[in-house]
Amino acid sequence: MAGSKVKQDMPPAGGYAPFDYKRNLPKRGLSGYSMFGIGIGVMVFGYWRLFSWNRERRRLQIEDLEARIALMPLMQAETDRRTLRMLRENLEEEAILMKDVPGWKVGETVYNTDRWVTPLTEELFNLRSREELVHKRFGFTWYV
Amino acid sequence: MISALFTQIINPLAVIVPVLLAVAFLTLLERKVLGYMQLRKGPNIVGPYGLLQPIADGVKLFIKEPIRPSTSSPLLFLLAPMLALTLALTLWAPMPLPYPVIDLNLGVLFVFALSSLAVYSILGSGWASNSKYALVGALRAVAQTISYEVSLGLILLSVIIFAGGFTLQTFSVAQESTWLILPAWPLAAMWYISTLAETNRAPFDLTEGESELVSGFNVEYAGGPFALFFLAEYANILLMNTLSAILFMGASHFPSLPGLTTTNLMLKAALLSVVFLWVRASYPRFRYDQLMHLIWKNFLPLTLALVIWHLAIPIAFTGLPPQL
Amino acid sequence: MPTTLEVPSMQELKVDEINVSSAVLKAAAHHYGSQCDKPNKEFMLCRWEEKDPRKCLEEGRKVNECALNFFRQIKGSCAESFTEYWTCLDYSNLTELRRCRDKQQVFDSCALEKLGWRRPELGELSKVTKVATERALPENPYHSRERPEPNPVMEGKLETAKHGSRMFFFGW
Repeated sequence: MAGSKVKQDMPPAGGYAPFDYKRNLPKRGLSGYSMFGIGIGVMVFGYWRLFSWNRERRRLQIEDLEARIALMPLMQAETDRRTLRMLRENLEEEAILMKDVPGWKVGETVYNTDRWVTPLTEELFNLRSREELVHKRFGFTWYV
Repeated sequence: MISALFTQIINPLAVIVPVLLAVAFLTLLERKVLGYMQLRKGPNIVGPYGLLQPIADGVKLFIKEPIRPSTSSPLLFLLAPMLALTLALTLWAPMPLPYPVIDLNLGVLFVFALSSLAVYSILGSGWASNSKYALVGALRAVAQTISYEVSLGLILLSVIIFAGGFTLQTFSVAQESTWLILPAWPLAAMWYISTLAETNRAPFDLTEGESELVSGFNVEYAGGPFALFFLAEYANILLMNTLSAILFMGASHFPSLPGLTTTNLMLKAALLSVVFLWVRASYPRFRYDQLMHLIWKNFLPLTLALVIWHLAIPIAFTGLPPQL
Repeated sequence: MPTTLEVPSMQELKVDEINVSSAVLKAAAHHYGSQCDKPNKEFMLCRWEEKDPRKCLEEGRKVNECALNFFRQIKGSCAESFTEYWTCLDYSNLTELRRCRDKQQVFDSCALEKLGWRRPELGELSKVTKVATERALPENPYHSRERPEPNPVMEGKLETAKHGSRMFFFGW
């Protein structure tokens, strides 16, 4: 097509000069790597503080549990006596209540055994007011 | 008799009344903050600095005629907003401020379960309105809330491993030496974004969608029932921020000065709420698929990995908390 | 054979109880654990072996006696610092020991000075201990019925099965 009359619009020979199209914002603040590093550093510091505190908390818990261990015999002895006392009171009351029933044996257990059966709370508080039973069962709850 | 009066009426009221007051002034704060961020003043006519605006709004809403659309399901239409507010207020019961109204052993789970129940009020209201805008808005809100609950639950799990208990008070003990936001800041960031989505706040407020859905699940509501929804929404926002403060920026409890803890905690919650408003003023709304991709493709794998990581690290460095 | 319940009389159960509140008990717990170690361990052993509270009343009485004596000694020598300590615990919400270390220090030094009581180290009270006791080991504490004689030792030569176990289809 040597004889073509049309002159096509073409770039200048050798191409256009390079021009600046890049976003040109000033670099400010920390670099990505350092921010990453700071983030990890904060986490490591946090882990260290948290874990050493958690170990200390475990020690405090052991101390608390030891206080309970120390007091347990005292509490157990007291509870045993209280239970037996209530059983005795119940038996005496039973003897009065059931004296007119022929063939009634006072203190006859429902269990077919000689071994000690820890009485149910309901059984202990059977002859007492409902308030006392509720207080016994829900009076002390550490957490719900 | 007196103790029953206290436990059943006065104690709950002692929480409900301040919460509702806080909610009222949160709405004012929101309008003020948004106003100043857009170089205008916000409400400033009713009372000094517009301080009485929320009261005026409340009075207006409650004396308005409560419209009940004739085609709606009448019972559910009214039950849904009541459920919403009831749930939002019940959620405050186990909050350690520093002493809770009900001392629950599994307080974290209680809060989590009740906040999940809130979707039923949205779903109910959207369906009962018998309007396609309301229904689509409700479905969107429910899908979003349920999705973000997944990441919330997993984040809670990691934090519970750190603190050593499901009781909210353990968190204040666990954070006596350091805030959990330091070792778990990636979790805290994801938690905060998830709470934004969970409470249907901007930039995740697709349920509102003014242009497509005219205002989401509560288009058909007006007057009193609308006010209930409004209160519930803001009570939930405050609650979520209080929970974030408890979980990640715990306030130490000094038995001799319990009021200090309350102030400390609620200051942090207020700060987080202001950031909620800041976010609302700054960010454009997400697209729905982006919203879903954020949770299912980013947060879920990240939180799952972090749960494993946060199980492994305390075991490896013998930093597990005491187990009661 | 329904049996009747035997309960000791009120006279036997009469013991001077310790009427103090939980904060007092917790404040004294560690010292108490080391001072009354002997009767406490004796009682717990009895309770464990006999499985019956009626048989350990005497040991329980000794536990109470020791505790009463212990608190009397505190009252006699370190009443002031002790009261301060347990009041502090009482006001610390959950009677947390860590809230009152300074008052504990004062009480501990008083106890060491006047009574010669050393506070047990962490882990000392929870150690497993052997107890030397005069009480005979109870026979059959569970009141079990007679057990049959164990099978006699098998006479004759025992060999493993030729083809292994038939329990599984893949025995070898």
